[in-house]
Amino acid sequence: MSHRLERIQLAEGVYFSAVTDPKFKHNRISVNFITPLTAEEAANNAIVPLLLRRGCKSCPDYTTLERRLCQLYGAGLDADVLHFGKYQMLSVSIQCVDDRFALEGEKITHDCAALLADIAFDPCITNGSFDEEATARERQFILDSIAAEINEKRSYALLRCKQEMCAGEAAALRKYGSAETAAAITGESAAAAYRRLADHANIEIMFVGAGDPQAALVIFKELFGGMHRSSFGYELCERKPAPEQVREHVEEMDLAQSKLVLGLRVDGDESDYEELRPFRVMTALYGGTPFSRLFNHVREKLSLCYYCAARYDGATGLMMVDCGIESENKQKAQDEILAQLEVMKKGEFTDEELESTRLALRGGAKATTDSLGGIESWYLVQIMMNSNISPEQNAENMSNITREQVIEAANRVHLDTVFFLKAKGGDAQ
Amino acid sequence: MKKMIHSKRLGEGYLRVEHSSGLTMLLCPMKGFSTAYAMFGTKYGSVDTTFKTDADDDYVTVPEGIAHFLEHKLFESEDGDAFARYAATGASANAFTSFDRTAYLFGCTENFKESMEILLDFVTHPYFTQQTVEKEQGIIGQEIRMYDDVADWRVMFGLLGSLYHNHPVRIDIAGTVESIAQIDADLLYRCYNTFYNLRNMVLVVAGNFDPDVVIKLADKILKPAPPMNISRKSPPEPESVAKTRTEVSLPISMPVFQLGFKGTPGDAARNLKSQVENELLLEIIAGESSHLYRRLYDQGLINTTFSFEVMAGRDYVASLYEGESRDPDAVAAAIREEVSRLRREGIDPEDFARCKRAAYGRYIGMFAKVEAIAGLMMLAEFAGVDMYEFPEWVADVTLEDLALRLEQDFDPERSALSVVTPSK
Repeated sequence: MSHRLERIQLAEGVYFSAVTDPKFKHNRISVNFITPLTAEEAANNAIVPLLLRRGCKSCPDYTTLERRLCQLYGAGLDADVLHFGKYQMLSVSIQCVDDRFALEGEKITHDCAALLADIAFDPCITNGSFDEEATARERQFILDSIAAEINEKRSYALLRCKQEMCAGEAAALRKYGSAETAAAITGESAAAAYRRLADHANIEIMFVGAGDPQAALVIFKELFGGMHRSSFGYELCERKPAPEQVREHVEEMDLAQSKLVLGLRVDGDESDYEELRPFRVMTALYGGTPFSRLFNHVREKLSLCYYCAARYDGATGLMMVDCGIESENKQKAQDEILAQLEVMKKGEFTDEELESTRLALRGGAKATTDSLGGIESWYLVQIMMNSNISPEQNAENMSNITREQVIEAANRVHLDTVFFLKAKGGDAQ
Repeated sequence: MKKMIHSKRLGEGYLRVEHSSGLTMLLCPMKGFSTAYAMFGTKYGSVDTTFKTDADDDYVTVPEGIAHFLEHKLFESEDGDAFARYAATGASANAFTSFDRTAYLFGCTENFKESMEILLDFVTHPYFTQQTVEKEQGIIGQEIRMYDDVADWRVMFGLLGSLYHNHPVRIDIAGTVESIAQIDADLLYRCYNTFYNLRNMVLVVAGNFDPDVVIKLADKILKPAPPMNISRKSPPEPESVAKTRTEVSLPISMPVFQLGFKGTPGDAARNLKSQVENELLLEIIAGESSHLYRRLYDQGLINTTFSFEVMAGRDYVASLYEGESRDPDAVAAAIREEVSRLRREGIDPEDFARCKRAAYGRYIGMFAKVEAIAGLMMLAEFAGVDMYEFPEWVADVTLEDLALRLEQDFDPERSALSVVTPSK
């Protein structure tokens, strides 16, 4: 079956979208507030879903709320903060087993939708403020999460490279904001952020699952009936050219393994999902599969690392290549990574490599339809890229990308920044 | 021999085939899914370090990490590696080694037959030379180094090394740079010829595929395996823990911890059931709907990273809490105290009913993805049960069952705390 999105506008900037497939055993409903990511407001926005997750007017006590979720057959209620291109996405979602598994005929989906609507749109705000104690705990969590960036060395090195490379651009902002702005969050500032989101953010309500979306739609329709609010249109990040001189940054840390990250920029002004597709094929052929150029050469032939991969972010136009190595192999790894990029630019890859890459991407695209989370994120990205292609159509379109398009895409990739997280000493104890 | 296994509760079933080669195959076609997911696994993992077969005179002890090393090496054959062959079919392939199993897997949305042929072929055709072994020592060396910097990994082996005196579960699955340096082609063949006997293996497939295709390919590719009995030897493990606290430092921002309770193992099936029951207990003791969780959260001692898990295998069961905390010792003390209280006063029947209902919903939900079903089939088969027993265990569990597990698997005297603290 084709997984097309049924999309209904409930108010200015508020949409309810649904994809249903009887093969699933769950229903997943999410409320996503999408707003431009700014240094000033990021932290106050980020605390909103965390505070929403702690309770609502109809269920203000956290323990009572958790017990309600147990009653709903262990329904999962989650809060999330995401960074996509120029935007910050603040989400609360609920996932529950379908009504057909209820032991006593309960309407689980309806009850979960009603609970989520309360959580997202009827929060515990009194006199223009969230509870200060609750705010203090979640503020601490945000501060801890910012400090925790250092914990995963691979993602830390990637983040640091992006920060050095994109200073002043949305791509370099943290989804939780800075430690300074986070430290200044109060119950009042968080409530004000909530108000701004409720009035001005784009709100995407998604329903994906086996059940009937009507159960949720009626609840949200009623909420937004006749509401006046504002909305905005989505844009991709502005593309900046790479500098003439490649920038180099080294940071030392007590580690067993060093991390090398190459930050590259794609020049161009693509504006929709279709135009970005050749870059996806090119990146996968270069370093996105276990038969890619980087895997075969940097790992298998030179035996320098366990992982060496390339990824491309269509929203920002950035390509990042990273690997974990011994410090003394830095130049060797960097040379080989760039040599393989030259191979891509000159088109010195085989037709088999191209066909295998297209096949792998086609398979990945089709597999999206086998999970609720996969379908939901697929369509959220489509919405933010002003597109509405089904995963099935995406799979088909992958097959049409030609060798010439891949070579052209590779020739628009330029090295901007090399970031090296250097292991100081041996095994850290 | 073929047999259909059904679940009345889920309205679903799968086919169990005992193939003439000696291999057991579990085949679960799922309507409406795009992906087919296959795993070819052997009951062989990092804990199988000392073993013998009927044909061997004496036990052999092999270097730590060899099961994982073998997993890497099996991808290679004389004419290239399996990834390159899968590339032509579009399948996404991988493999993993755990404490007690090794599995080779792929997922695909087209060319299922061709991918299955590759899987059955490369896993049954080992090819190791001294040169390819040496190349892999570099790659795996970097994999080990990578994990050396991962706090979650270090905290887990800190805990296992504290709970267990001798059991090989305390040793890193990939071994050490030193231990893998001792591996050579002959040792790899010895391990392969012992544990990759088809009678010690299982093939599971779930999702979008036709079982007849798998059976026909098995007929074509698999040669009958000679009968074989494998004896594994683990050093004797005392009931007590080796130590109650361990600590290392890494460049991280906040301490991470694991608090584990060393359980009393039975056979593999019993341990799997204990896993299900102990998860329920962990939920009752300090799950998100418990009073203890609320208290620790409100005191700022735990955050949303707090979670729990049961690790169970052939001859071990350990139940643990983990997360970030500014004061792991205070969290550990509070949990140990709550466990002691429950052992003294008993479990509140209301808490039991609430957590059981939530667990029931979650176990039904586990049968929702092709990867999960393949994983469950293999897990259950290696323990000698079928996967549909999981939700039945939850549906049938009684307060008395949990009281017994609390007695046997949650003794504060047999618990340990592992902490990774921020360096500097």
